[in-house]
Amino acid sequence: MPENFESFIQQHRDAFEEPGPSPRVWDALERELEGGRKGRVVSLLGKNWFKAAVIAVLLVNAAVLFYIARHKQQQQQDLAVVIPEMQDAKVYYSNRINEKLELINAYPVNELGLDSAARQELQLRNDTYKTLENELKNNPGNQRIRGAMIRYYQLKLELFDKILEELHEKHAAPTTHTKKQYEAEI
Amino acid sequence: MKASANNLNQTQLDGNVIDRCKRGDVRAFRELYNAYAAAMYNICLRMTGNVSDAEDTLQEAFIQVHRNIGKLEREASVTAWIKRIVVNHCLNNLRKKKVYFEEVEEVEVAEEAGIDEDSFTWTVSAVKSAIHGLPQGYRTVLNLYLFEDYSHREIADMMGITESTVKTQYMRAKEKVRQIVKQQNLIR
Repeated sequence: MPENFESFIQQHRDAFEEPGPSPRVWDALERELEGGRKGRVVSLLGKNWFKAAVIAVLLVNAAVLFYIARHKQQQQQDLAVVIPEMQDAKVYYSNRINEKLELINAYPVNELGLDSAARQELQLRNDTYKTLENELKNNPGNQRIRGAMIRYYQLKLELFDKILEELHEKHAAPTTHTKKQYEAEI
Repeated sequence: MKASANNLNQTQLDGNVIDRCKRGDVRAFRELYNAYAAAMYNICLRMTGNVSDAEDTLQEAFIQVHRNIGKLEREASVTAWIKRIVVNHCLNNLRKKKVYFEEVEEVEVAEEAGIDEDSFTWTVSAVKSAIHGLPQGYRTVLNLYLFEDYSHREIADMMGITESTVKTQYMRAKEKVRQIVKQQNLIR
């Protein structure tokens, strides 16, 4: 069969093909793709480890304070005259907390790097707050519960300060313009 | 399944597979992989010369396909895009193994006197074996030109050498294959 090299290859092109790769390639590829996704989640967590840690501390603190307050409430029988003081504290801390929360919320969600549950926890009136508030209504004279409520406000403010400090380090103070830019980039 | 990259076309895939891949659908990516794995594996096998390296290169290339599929433009050829990623991975891996694609002087490569192609028999196994025995640089050029259908210019750009070097290396590679196949004919 007289043929030259190139025409031989063209005519027998398919005969030069081998069967496909072994299944181990897809298996390894799939593991890699799965790993990549896990890696990104871990990396996101790593990037925001500080915020996650502070929120965890806040939750634990609130839970411990609440537990102590509840446990000791029978022993505390103070007078209802403390309620006006608590009202003042509530107004003072709520204003400060809301101011800081507004500053934090000015950053795009992806910059905060927190999931919806964590963002919900940032709100002033989260589940911990509501529980403390109810306890206080039921036991207005209880010093432990009052202390827990004040401590809750303070921890929240500390947390927001830390988050804002970190955000300031990474970026200039956000403006409507920069937020739009972030959104455009996304 | 045997399929050469040159025979593949996008009609083998559902129209929305690429869109689903772009949205991160792993099942769609599996479909894409199944459609192209055999053809791309053959490119890797020809370029690397062994099964283990070919499979590793194929895996790396598809990871890059997965990472970059979002950048694939709607009107672009999926086959050409994936093939280019695979070929580039093969070339990069060869470079890592210190295979240098050196410039050679442009010289007229004369066919060896007395080699009459009509006088001996070409067989697929003999040609495969002969190509496999070529020096890496020759083999790369020959494979890209003959099997992957890239032009001399495109091969030069991919390998970072001049077009004239590609042409010279191709002529030498072809001549070498002829000689090896002739030797095999004489042995029989």
